[in-house]
Amino acid sequence: MQIIARETLIGKRIAKLDAPEKASGKTRYIHDLDLPGQLYGKILRSGRVHAKILRIDTSKAKALPGVHAVITAADVPWQRPIGVARDHLPLKTDRVRSPRDEIAAVAAQSEEIAQAALRLIEVEYEDLPVLTDPLDALAPDAPLIHPEPHGADGGTEHLKPGAPVAYSGRPDNLAMTFDYEQGDVARGEADSDLVVEDTFRLHYVTHCCMGVSGIIAEFDSSGNLTMYSNTQVPFLHKREFAEILGMDPARIRIIQPPIGGGFGSKLDIYPFEPICVFLARATGRPVKLVFSREEEFLASPTRQPVILKLRSGCRRDGTLTFRAVETIHDNGAYTSWGATTPFVMMQTVSSLYRVPHCSYHTKAVYTNNPYAGSFRGYGNLQATFAVESHMDRMADALGIDPLEFRLKNAQDPGEVTPQGMQFKTCGLKECLKSAAELGDYQAKRRAYAALQAEPGRFKRGVGLASMLHVGGGAKIYPSDGCGTILKMDDFGAVTLITGASEIGQGSETVLAQLVCEELGLPLSAVRVVNNDTEITPWDVGVHASRTTFIGGNSAIGAARKARAKILDAAAKQTGLPAQALDLRAGQIVEERSGNPLLSLAKLIRSLHFSDKAELVMTTHYYEPPSHHQDRQFKGDVSAAYAWASQVVEVEVDTETGAVRLLKVSGAHDVGRVLNRLGIEGQIEGGIVMGQGYALTEELIVEQGRIRNPAFRDYKLVTAPEIPEIAVRFVETLDGEGPQGAKGVGEAPAICIAAATANAIENATGVRILALPFTPEKVYRALREER
Amino acid sequence: MAEIERVLAPASLDEAAEALAAGEATLLAGGTDLMPASHAGKVRFAPMLINLRRIAELSGIAVEDGELRIGTLVTIAELLGDEAVRERCPILAEAADHFASPQIRNAATIGGNLCNASPAGDMLVPLLAAGARVELASKPDGTLVRRVLPLEEFLVGPGRTRRRPDELLATVRVPAAAPDAIWRFFKSGTRPALDISAVSIGLLARKAGNALHEVRIALGAVAPTVVRARAAEATLEGRVLNPETMEAAACAARDEVHPISDVRASAWYRKELIHNMLRRMLSDVAET
Ligand SMILES: Cc1cc2nc3c(=O)[nH]c(=O)nc-3n(C[C@H](O)[C@H](O)[C@H](O)COP(=O)(O)OP(=O)(O)OC[C@H]3O[C@@H](n4cnc5c(N)ncnc54)[C@H](O)[C@@H]3O)c2cc1C
Repeated sequence: MQIIARETLIGKRIAKLDAPEKASGKTRYIHDLDLPGQLYGKILRSGRVHAKILRIDTSKAKALPGVHAVITAADVPWQRPIGVARDHLPLKTDRVRSPRDEIAAVAAQSEEIAQAALRLIEVEYEDLPVLTDPLDALAPDAPLIHPEPHGADGGTEHLKPGAPVAYSGRPDNLAMTFDYEQGDVARGEADSDLVVEDTFRLHYVTHCCMGVSGIIAEFDSSGNLTMYSNTQVPFLHKREFAEILGMDPARIRIIQPPIGGGFGSKLDIYPFEPICVFLARATGRPVKLVFSREEEFLASPTRQPVILKLRSGCRRDGTLTFRAVETIHDNGAYTSWGATTPFVMMQTVSSLYRVPHCSYHTKAVYTNNPYAGSFRGYGNLQATFAVESHMDRMADALGIDPLEFRLKNAQDPGEVTPQGMQFKTCGLKECLKSAAELGDYQAKRRAYAALQAEPGRFKRGVGLASMLHVGGGAKIYPSDGCGTILKMDDFGAVTLITGASEIGQGSETVLAQLVCEELGLPLSAVRVVNNDTEITPWDVGVHASRTTFIGGNSAIGAARKARAKILDAAAKQTGLPAQALDLRAGQIVEERSGNPLLSLAKLIRSLHFSDKAELVMTTHYYEPPSHHQDRQFKGDVSAAYAWASQVVEVEVDTETGAVRLLKVSGAHDVGRVLNRLGIEGQIEGGIVMGQGYALTEELIVEQGRIRNPAFRDYKLVTAPEIPEIAVRFVETLDGEGPQGAKGVGEAPAICIAAATANAIENATGVRILALPFTPEKVYRALREER
Repeated sequence: MAEIERVLAPASLDEAAEALAAGEATLLAGGTDLMPASHAGKVRFAPMLINLRRIAELSGIAVEDGELRIGTLVTIAELLGDEAVRERCPILAEAADHFASPQIRNAATIGGNLCNASPAGDMLVPLLAAGARVELASKPDGTLVRRVLPLEEFLVGPGRTRRRPDELLATVRVPAAAPDAIWRFFKSGTRPALDISAVSIGLLARKAGNALHEVRIALGAVAPTVVRARAAEATLEGRVLNPETMEAAACAARDEVHPISDVRASAWYRKELIHNMLRRMLSDVAET
């Protein structure tokens, strides 16, 4: 018989399991789903920045043939506020705080009829003073966005008897504050030979998922609610929807059709979702509500805009002494996850490099602007931009090479930071050296700096930046776990039922791969089921770069239990001890020789069709060994940490200000490469997203209004602009990671803007403290310098 | 909602003109301006929609009397691939190469670009520099008539032209470039592809030795419509290109425009670009 050698899938280039469907256009996204009897929902938005609602008249809309329901807040007096701070009623009652605000909704037989009905709704407003600068919002006499002691809409009119008190409001415009201290900043400052201070301004960008937001809601005759939803966090949402809708959670089922991109945007509940449920309830029909692209720009969340004041110090020898941060987060009109980005920002401030003394303070301030949600990197792009700009500034002021300066202060494995993070593995130094080598950083930086003052239209520069991000989940909920159910059929094929959602990141493929690795099966033997709360076991959701790590460990756990059961049975049949056996290519083999002994399928059937009939079905729940932060924001919040360094090379056209990215050289501590093709895609995609943040993308908000809600004027990076990308993987083999891997979903986007800022400085001698580096902004900065 | 009552797809210019004479109509070519504008609620459709795309005589590129005759339905992609255009009006081919994306170029027509009359329209700048004329057709009293207008007269303001409601654009006529012609086209935007011009410049002249004659400079996105930079042209006419004349022309162009600030660029930056890029184009010309 043929000897079967041990083979591994780890580190191989494996095409995503869903690639053929997606590439051939057969994937059925929510847009492609239609239920029998379905109606179409549309939302009327205020178009006013800040106003009182005086009157809403829906009678004409209701009379339009084909319209099944027109609802306003008056029709759902029991609606409850949504959002991270529960300050947001889905349908506004007596006040609107931004142009996106939902006034009324229609369910009709077609989208066209629903659209026509919206135009027939009459609303009378009285404008209120507009607050669009977060600094103005802090002034003592500023108009209040959520005045107390009223409901979420600021007035008392809607507080009708029996209606739940929504949000108690605030005496000021402070939505949230964060305060963190470590050591003694004053002492750190006294110890410093050099102190630098700058104020950085970070702008609005938005996710631009290819698939826009959408939902289908349907009640069955027993009152059970099914939602077809693009959410990234189905289990958290099941619970939250129950609370918002006043329903028993057991009656709510969430099914996720394939999701056309998430990037964090689908981590919160937005008004359109409960509104769609209201419409389904009002009509007794399934209702589908899908955004137009313009609506997606206007009414889906943004990345958190931040004004960040950073003060940093170090000693003459280049040892960092302290860092003090104060930020103003423009919270917009309502509170979503954007307000909570300080959780991540302070990690970069305190722990990317060794800094003994740190303080970090954030005020998230209500305005009439768009509100920010969670977005790949979660505040880290903003924090890293400031911190890494300062690392270069300090190095230059001291006359130390910026790479040496970073290496001197870089974290090592084994470090426990003052914030409580434990770096069991840490490849930062290797990342720094590797990226610098790949991008020929030191030599080029010297050469380009020497050419700064020479005449010539085009200037080149290189810039370096590093990042730290959670790579083993983040324990911010009571559990950071993920459950798996694994079943094997009579033919040795596996169905992997996992709580981990696929949002395009390739989790399906990597989970299947990890299971195959344990069970000696080809990828074709695994099917993944991952999109139905009625079927899949609990999971926190897709965020914090956690799915491969947490879902992966969970899948491995279930697979190992199955493997043990199979090998035990095989041991009985072959008379060999289980440790002497292995699973390879669908066979039970002798571990040492590779001699096939039994086919796996046959073994399974003999187990099944025997006196003691048994199936191979296992379950596993993985909970990472991480900890909640305490009230001082201290604690080892992740089971592993990911690191990366990137060198960006740019060319600046000094006559137009246009910046071209020539090359990005990255080194990423990913723990271990599982699917090489997948991780390359993840990193390249992240780099391009970071490039858009740095150079071209900006949601232009003027006086509370979004001026460019379309791809024509919101400029994503296009193919010809994508630079040469070279990536090296630093494999630190994390002891807790699945096969040693860490999470990398967010990492690649994080330091591009910072490295680009440093590269522009190297090219031109000009440091720009605000993003994005559009031609006009760069040109203006160059002119002001001259 | 658009209240379109009739949709016509005439097969000849004559039929189209007749339909147009009968009443108010919206004309559809590639639809790349019309459809986004209608989705944004910026156009109201007339009761009649006339799809021009089946009219064979409105497509195709020919050379007659030394002139390029470009049918209104010629797409940007066709312009790009056409030998005669590249030979006789290379600046137009160059501008086509900076136009949108391959997908849009396959649908967008030269006539649609002119009739849409955006000050940022990328065909307007090279055509104005090249001294193009437009031929309009109508059927006022039963017979097809054509009138020819210089492009400069045709364009009135943003989205506004001298085209009467009963007329349609049939052909664009472009005089062939002289053998000693030099040309440059520049378009600025945030990114190199798929961008609407924040500023564009077309430069066309005859070069004898190092002196320029018959200088024509067209500027896009700096005024309500595409404009000639006549002051800059005058400073260059008959002069030898040297640092002083180039700088004088660049300054003149910058000072004669009064752009607005919008989401794409501020007025100040637009003026700076006009100056820097015109000087760059001229010094480029001087070096070749
Ligand atoms: C993604 C995108 C990118 C773009 N990029 C660019 C760019 O880089 N540069 C640029 O200049 N433009 C750009 N545009 C705008 C547009 O593509 C061009 O203006 C195009 O040339 C319009 O041609 P069309 O055939 O699609 O016109 P249509 O949309 O069919 O028509 C435009 C207007 O002209 C009228 N019209 C058309 N033909 C005639 C005729 N024969 N007689 C009378 N009236 C007529 C129509 O009624 C309508 O008012 C872009 C558009 C999009 C959607």
